[in-house]
Formats: sequence, structure tokens, C-alpha cells
Amino acid sequence: MIYGGKTTGVIVTGATGKQGAFHIALMNEYARQVGGKGVVAGVTPGKAGQEVAGVPVYNSIRDALKEHDAEASVLFVPGFAAGDSIMEAASAGLSLVVAITEHIPVHDTMRAISYASIHGCSVIGPNCPGLLSPGEIKMGIMPVHLSSPGQVGVISRSGTLTYEIVDQLTRAGLGQSTIVGIGGDPVIGQTFADVLHRFEQDDRTKAVVILGEVGGSLEEEGAKATDLPVAAYIAGISAPPEKRMGHAGAIIEGGEGDARSKIARLEKIGVPVASRPSEIPRLIKELL
Amino acid sequence: MKLLEHEARALFEKYGIPHPRGFLIRSPGELQERIGELGERCVLKAQVDVGGRGKAGGILVADRATAEKKAAELFEREIKGVPVREILAVEYLEIRQEFYASIAIDRSTKQALILFTDQGGVDIETLAKERPDAVRKASLPLLMHDIPPFMVRDLLQSAPKEIGKILNQLYRVFCEKDALLAEINPLVVTPEGVYAADAKLIIDDNALARQGITVNRDLTEREREAEKHGFSYVELTGDIGVIGNGAGLTMATLDLIEYYEGRAANFLDVGGGADQERVMHAVRLVAADPSVRVIVVNLLGGITRCDEVAKGIISAGISQPVILRLAGTNEAEGRKILDGCGYRMMESMEQAVKAAVEAVR
Repeated sequence: MIYGGKTTGVIVTGATGKQGAFHIALMNEYARQVGGKGVVAGVTPGKAGQEVAGVPVYNSIRDALKEHDAEASVLFVPGFAAGDSIMEAASAGLSLVVAITEHIPVHDTMRAISYASIHGCSVIGPNCPGLLSPGEIKMGIMPVHLSSPGQVGVISRSGTLTYEIVDQLTRAGLGQSTIVGIGGDPVIGQTFADVLHRFEQDDRTKAVVILGEVGGSLEEEGAKATDLPVAAYIAGISAPPEKRMGHAGAIIEGGEGDARSKIARLEKIGVPVASRPSEIPRLIKELL
Repeated sequence: MKLLEHEARALFEKYGIPHPRGFLIRSPGELQERIGELGERCVLKAQVDVGGRGKAGGILVADRATAEKKAAELFEREIKGVPVREILAVEYLEIRQEFYASIAIDRSTKQALILFTDQGGVDIETLAKERPDAVRKASLPLLMHDIPPFMVRDLLQSAPKEIGKILNQLYRVFCEKDALLAEINPLVVTPEGVYAADAKLIIDDNALARQGITVNRDLTEREREAEKHGFSYVELTGDIGVIGNGAGLTMATLDLIEYYEGRAANFLDVGGGADQERVMHAVRLVAADPSVRVIVVNLLGGITRCDEVAKGIISAGISQPVILRLAGTNEAEGRKILDGCGYRMMESMEQAVKAAVEAVR
């Protein structure tokens, strides 16, 4: 449990859209299972007074906070509005924003993250599946049936690849402490380094899986800055240069950020790197 | 999306960045009509989106007498395989000094990164590796309205002060045009003043709509077709078609193909909510590539309905074999539908990939 737990109240922004309504129901189903607080309110400007999946909707986060206690928000708003929603949450005093939204213009992300950091608010994402602390809380869209509570932290730039690895960890008897999807965009709020720093302060987490991909150098920067045992998988060894591989951030640019040099740098600092996703459970067992 | 030099130059001009006199031509005749505007000598620059354009023969210097002939010559050329349809003709500058200036996105600091060096005209990545001290850097949060004077002084050092104004104009372009990169290389000093002798601008694909750009030219026709359906698609050179959900999982599928010494023909991420119709379009799109001999479908998700996916694959009606790995709801129904039609459903992505590689061997 690193960004929240059973006692964390969550507000969903973009509550009345199809995605928002669907995932409020799933998040609260999980909250009921684990005895957590879950989603307490929804926000969609102009839709105050409605109810979505049993949760009251307000015009603004400030209005919602007059009636409910909450520390975090999860965004399901469209790309053009997401930067604004991040800033609204930070300004209202929430300490965490989980931005599921894809296709946010990167300038909006950069401004919103700068603004949020002035207000002491952490941003996970954008373009991410959110986070799941098995047995504690789910903030986002990760399927819960593949996970199990345990000692392994997972940090990933991807969605479904995370589910694949979580499934394999669970099958190998390796439960997870918290699974964080940090997002597939070039600029993201919480980086590998930030999440690793939180895991260091979490008694439950004994080892961490880093699921990276081509583009940038956040994987190496994160692994370098932690004392926790880390194993990694880097997707995109077959990715051609200068082509965006699905994620806005998954691109080898100016000869930088290719998988082979990333893997070499990780191995140089002593991080074992799996050449196939199926090797991750074995590498983690060796670290524990 | 990358803009061509003449497009970026026109935008830079709107923000007051000075550039050499010049105009765009589509035929040698057009140059002859206006050659008087350029003085005794001119530079002809092919408007093609390729790196290392100069070295590849895309830039020619001509004098007034030979300009039309040289332009005709350039229109005949292909620069790294790209035909020349437009040429930017500009006046020849008496260069005293060359600088480099750019503003880009920095993933690590989550801020704008300004780079400046007095070694203009060079390849900045090479210079940064070989002589990191020669490249001056500054990070600027996008909440800043302009580049603070101290930062300009640190960047410029002994460079002419008027470049400070140009840096701020470039920053304005960067912010207002949703740029991933705004670059002037080289920024030149002549006896008359300072000029942007080249212009480069890359616009964020996620901001094209609000920048009024309707067609992303960086994509191939099939990639654009894929975009219409909401797929991410990249053409590759192998013979195994790939369909996955989620960029990471799809990339990992390609990597596994390479691990087992096969070659992927494409990357296709169908995105969330892979229903019957989306799957059908995805399968048809991948199968339409004549080099595809087998298709691997790797779908994993809590809410993916395997029966929908199965129906989508069958309704696509393609000739190539399809090997699947499906994990989601209604797996048994999906398997039943597929088994009846001779498709193979495997237990893991690794098995599916292995089977596909064996199928084309």
C-alpha cells in the first residue's frame, strides 16, 4: 500500500461518461470485497444531482469535498480536458491524481504536472491503467482477478503487459504489494524513480518488477536510484527507430532509448533483465 | 508530425524570427520569374522530410545564370528515395558565425529543454556525445511565460545579444504550436544581422486537431487507415502479422517473434474494447498486406469477450491461418466457435508465437 488503502476516499472525474460509470462500479465492487472506502463521489461539470453506479455526482471537486472526504481522484475525461482536471484536483487539495486518459497533448501534461507539484499533488499517468494494491484498493482499470496480495511491487509503462506479468507472478505463487501503471506517454507524473522511492518506505514490498519499453531513460534512472532488489523486462527490442509503437512515448529518437542500450545499462548496474516476460517470476524468486 | 522546412519557416516568421529572403517553387520556371529577388547567388533546398538532406544532395548553391538549370536538376533527383516536388529558393548568406538553438520536451525533468551551442550546422546528437561541454542546456517549466534573462545569459555567453530575442520567439512558437521540437540549425550571423538559415518543427500528434492539422503526413496509407479505426499500426518487413491489445503486450509479442527467430510484418494494437467489428477490421487490415503468411492474435484483458473476438476473426473471411491466444471472459464459447472453423487457440502468448514461427518456417 503506497499511494492509498482501505481508508482512502476517491473522486472520479468524468464520472458520467461510459468509461467513468463502468469503472466506478468495478472500483466499488472491489472496495466492498476488501472492506475499503472506494469511490465516494463523481464529478462532471453541469451534471450535479445525478447519480452514477450509486455514487452522487457534483459539478466540481470543491463541491464534492464539501460533502465527502477524499484524498485522490481518478480521471476518465477526454484528452483535451485532462490537463484542466489534473489542475482542478490539485488546487482543491487532493494529494493524488490518477490520469487514465490517453491522447492528452504533452504540453497540457507538462503544465498540469508542474502546477500539481506546486500544490504537493502527485500525478500517476497519464495514459495508464492506474494502480492496484491487492486486498487494499484499486484506483483505475486493472482487472483484479489476476492479482494476489504479496511482497512484489510492479511498476509498468504499459497496461495489458502488466496484467500478463501479474498473472504469471500470481501463478508462480508470487503475490503483489502494489501494481502501478505509470503510463505510456513521453511525459508522466510519477516515474520509476518516484514509485521505487515509495516502495522503499513500504514494509510489505521486498522486490520490484520494472516493466519498461523503448523511449527515454526513466527505467535506468529509477533502477539506479534505489536499494531495493529489482528485475526488469524491456519491451521493444524489435522496434524500428523513429516509429511510435502504440504509446506516444514508445519511440526511439535520435538514436536514444532503444531496448538494447536500455538493457545494457540496467545490467551494468546489476539489474537482471528478462529476455521474455515468462522469465520474470524466476528472476524475482532469485531476488527474494 | 514533422513540418517541412518551408512550413516551419512560415510559422517562425509569424513570431518575428528573421530568415533569409526566399520563396517556394514547384517548377524551374517559377524560379526564373523571381530570381531577381535573391541577388547574385542563391541556395536551392529540396523540401523533403529526410535527415541529412544536405549530404544526400538535397541542397544546391547556384548563381543567377545557372539557377534555373540547377533547379531543374534538383527536381529530377530523389533524396534518399523521396522525390523532390517543392524547392525553397533563398538568398545566399555571407556567414560569419553559426549557432544551434532548439527547444524540446525533456522526459526526465518534465520540462522544456533549451539547447544552445556556438557549433552551428553540426549534428547535435553527435556533438552532445563527443563534446558535451560545447552544448549549453537550460530547463524551463512550461508555466513560465518567457525565458528568464539569467537563463538567456547562461545560454548565450559571448554570442550576439540579439539571439536572446530569437530564443524567446522560438519558445513562443514551441508553446503555442504544441511542439515536441522547435529547432534552428544553423542560426547564422552575417554582416547584416542574425538569421534562421533552417527551420524545424515537430508537432505533437495528440495536438494536431487543435493546431488545425487534419492529416498526419508521417503515417503511411495503411497506418492512416488503421488510425481511422482507432488502431495503432506500424508496418514492418517480416511475414508474421501481429494483432494485440495494448502497446506493451503487442510489442512484447513482436519481441517474442524475434526471440524465436521469426519476423513480424506489423505492429497492430487494437486498443481497448476489442469487439467483433474492431477485430474483423484489424484482421482484414493485417491480412491485406501481401507479405503476411500467418497472423498471431494476442488479446488479454478482464473485459475482452472471447466469443466476440472469435466471431470477428471468422467474419473477416481471410485466407491466411490465424493463431490465437485469448484470455478474458467467455473463453470456452470463443474456443468452441474457433475450433469449429479450424483456427488454433493456444494457452499462452509464448505458445502462440512459437506456433506462428513454425508455420512460416
